[in-house]
Amino acid sequence: MAPQPPSDGIIDEHPQRRRTWTGAFRSVVLPILVVAAIGASIWYIDYRPGGAQEGTDDFGVVDISQGADSPSFEAQEGKLAPDFRLETSDGDTVRLSDLRGKGVIINFWATWCTPCRQEMPELVAAYDRYKERGLEILAVNLQENPAKVSSFAGEFGILFPVLLDRDCGVADAYRVTTNCRVIGIPVSFFIDSEGIVRSTFLGPLLGGSSRGGIEQGELDRRIEQILP
Amino acid sequence: MAREQALRRSKAGAWNVSPFYAIWRLLTSVRFAIFLIGLLALVSLLGVVLPQVPPNIRNDPSSVGRWLEEQEGKFGPATDFMHQVGLFEVFNAPWFTALVGVLAVAVTVCVCNRFAPIWRTIRYPQKRVPDTYFERARHRADFPTSGDGMALEAVLRRSRYHVERYPDKDAAYLFADRFAWTSLGTFVSHLAIITFIVAGVVSAFTGFESQLFIGEGNSMPVFAENRQFQVELQDAVGRFDAEGRPLDYRSHIVIFDRGTEAKRCTSTVNDPCTYAGYRFSQAAYFGFGAALQVRDVTTGNVIYKETLSLFDTLPSPQVTVRNSDGQVLLDDTLVLDQQVADVYGTLVTLYGQPGPYWFGVRPAGEDSASWELIVFEFAEGDSAARTLIASGEAAVANGLEFTFTGVASNPALLAEGVPLPSGDQGQALVQMHNAVYGSSEASSGRSLDISYVDPSQPPQLYVRGDSLQLQDLQPEESSTIGNYEYTFLGQREFAGIQVKRDRSDKLIWIATGLFLAGIGMNFYLPRRRLWAKITPERTYLAGIAGHMVNFEKEMRQIGNETTRRAKADQIKKE
Repeated sequence: MAPQPPSDGIIDEHPQRRRTWTGAFRSVVLPILVVAAIGASIWYIDYRPGGAQEGTDDFGVVDISQGADSPSFEAQEGKLAPDFRLETSDGDTVRLSDLRGKGVIINFWATWCTPCRQEMPELVAAYDRYKERGLEILAVNLQENPAKVSSFAGEFGILFPVLLDRDCGVADAYRVTTNCRVIGIPVSFFIDSEGIVRSTFLGPLLGGSSRGGIEQGELDRRIEQILP
Repeated sequence: MAREQALRRSKAGAWNVSPFYAIWRLLTSVRFAIFLIGLLALVSLLGVVLPQVPPNIRNDPSSVGRWLEEQEGKFGPATDFMHQVGLFEVFNAPWFTALVGVLAVAVTVCVCNRFAPIWRTIRYPQKRVPDTYFERARHRADFPTSGDGMALEAVLRRSRYHVERYPDKDAAYLFADRFAWTSLGTFVSHLAIITFIVAGVVSAFTGFESQLFIGEGNSMPVFAENRQFQVELQDAVGRFDAEGRPLDYRSHIVIFDRGTEAKRCTSTVNDPCTYAGYRFSQAAYFGFGAALQVRDVTTGNVIYKETLSLFDTLPSPQVTVRNSDGQVLLDDTLVLDQQVADVYGTLVTLYGQPGPYWFGVRPAGEDSASWELIVFEFAEGDSAARTLIASGEAAVANGLEFTFTGVASNPALLAEGVPLPSGDQGQALVQMHNAVYGSSEASSGRSLDISYVDPSQPPQLYVRGDSLQLQDLQPEESSTIGNYEYTFLGQREFAGIQVKRDRSDKLIWIATGLFLAGIGMNFYLPRRRLWAKITPERTYLAGIAGHMVNFEKEMRQIGNETTRRAKADQIKKE
């Protein structure tokens, strides 16, 4: 059927002019929802599931509390140290709980960290002094290239295990990192033969307190405290 | 009709009590939108003109306080007020974000508000108009009807009009529509504005930026969101022309993700490496680095291995000494490894002379633009050579002629934590002599006065600390003091790598495309709606088009073309 002309003859020549109020939802809430939807879409695209990294192996934190009464994931003095299993730079595997009966220093470090590099000779020397008495040192490297780590370990004469924390799972559990973002390194955990964290130290294990480090005597005292 | 008006009045009453009505009136007002845009332009201008708190100190109240003290020299007592209202952090001020947010909502409200009626004119256009419209339309024309009136329809179709014909008892009516969809151009432009604003918000809240300063052979971490990259600098390259002007900076880097090599690439200022949405671009170059290694010879273990960036400089005087026969005893650029107050000096033994000489330089004036040379011979008696020589001059003392050509500079650093022969760690003054700027691809640069540099000779390292003195160590050369072996591994370059991720990148491109498309639709393809009434005697045209269309002229052309076509059709028939 052919259209008929409008009885009032009105032609809307400016449909883009301000329209009449069509209700709170359509006139105000809907536009705000549109803006929110655009923002949410962008947010989702960037943070959609699958974007996060996930572990691909069996390494990482094995048990956090193991009977400790602390529900938190951090290694606290006087509490059982979170257990973990990590690959070494040599391809072996080390599990913390397998070292019960020994005093253990867990040292979190990276080659890009200047104080870590500078304290490493001190750790090497301490290991040399105390290994016969049951000291073990686990140098947990944060996400670095194994070849680079091995090269560094060879040059600096590191004979204790250098562990590769590829996904920061252990570092996150010990609160050394948060989502792989380093809070502070080097940091060392002194764990006794029962697996209890006796002390922690944030900073280089050398240089004395005036330079943010630890005195030789204090280091020896802490090591003696954890030896069997 | 009266009932409809009453209903409208009733609705108007309802609006007045609606809590959203005032907001809606404000947000749908074009004047308000223009006011917002003008206000944002004004405060943005202030943000550009007024000094802004540097981003790196924004979260440090004490640094901000010191920065504000500096501004008091410019703004006096108004400084505190300006800081309080956010004029020194315009683009981070909450009110700026609020203004942008209100503008985004206002534009969105306008779009939502106007979309439905415009969509209706596209989907369901008014195809018939009253006859009176042909007499009062803004754009109208008429011409004698030729033939059966079909020529007009053909002409319009050839002009890419969509044409519909409605025969009536006394006349035939046409409705023709051209580029109807371009009515949406306004919305496309507005959508672009919204997208720009959203992009700005996304950039402000989720942007990531980090600066790395890496020496060759070393790596640095990037703590991105929920992940950590390692960036290893394999080679930093700076190329310079013969005059020392930089030609090119580039860095060959390797990116490691979770300890695994993820990408190997070359980064420049304008052509960054990209990985996982992050851009790694060349941001800086520094050519004076020195790699120093210390090994404990008793264990064979390395105990220190650092690439030092020699940011400071030490003066290095060019001195010539001749005896009374004109024989040159010394012609060298001296490396000064001792400092007493503002005097730098070193001991030198001159060939054939009994005692050592101490050569030193000190600033001749308040600044260090000019220097004077101190010559002090360790000998007793009045004849000992002890003199001051201005730059570019010569003096004779104790039968020797000392010529002080001028002062060059050596890159230097007071390094901390260097293993000392005593077994302790401490400070050591490290300076590099004959250091060229750049790698094997580079010519000499002009960051320092290196006119004394002999490119054919390698750089030399000098280290002085407590019981530690290393001289003239060439690359890969070692010197053993006590239990420690000190090795100059070589000159190293540094690169500044900017790591950046801006999630708004794609949005900006989309917004730009939308904006250009919207503008193009509005300006170059404006919609034309044309109604025609064809009677046996005359044809009447009336229409609506955008402001940039001279529609009446187009109508006259359509009329002329229609007349010509009708006559041609008539001739063909005959």
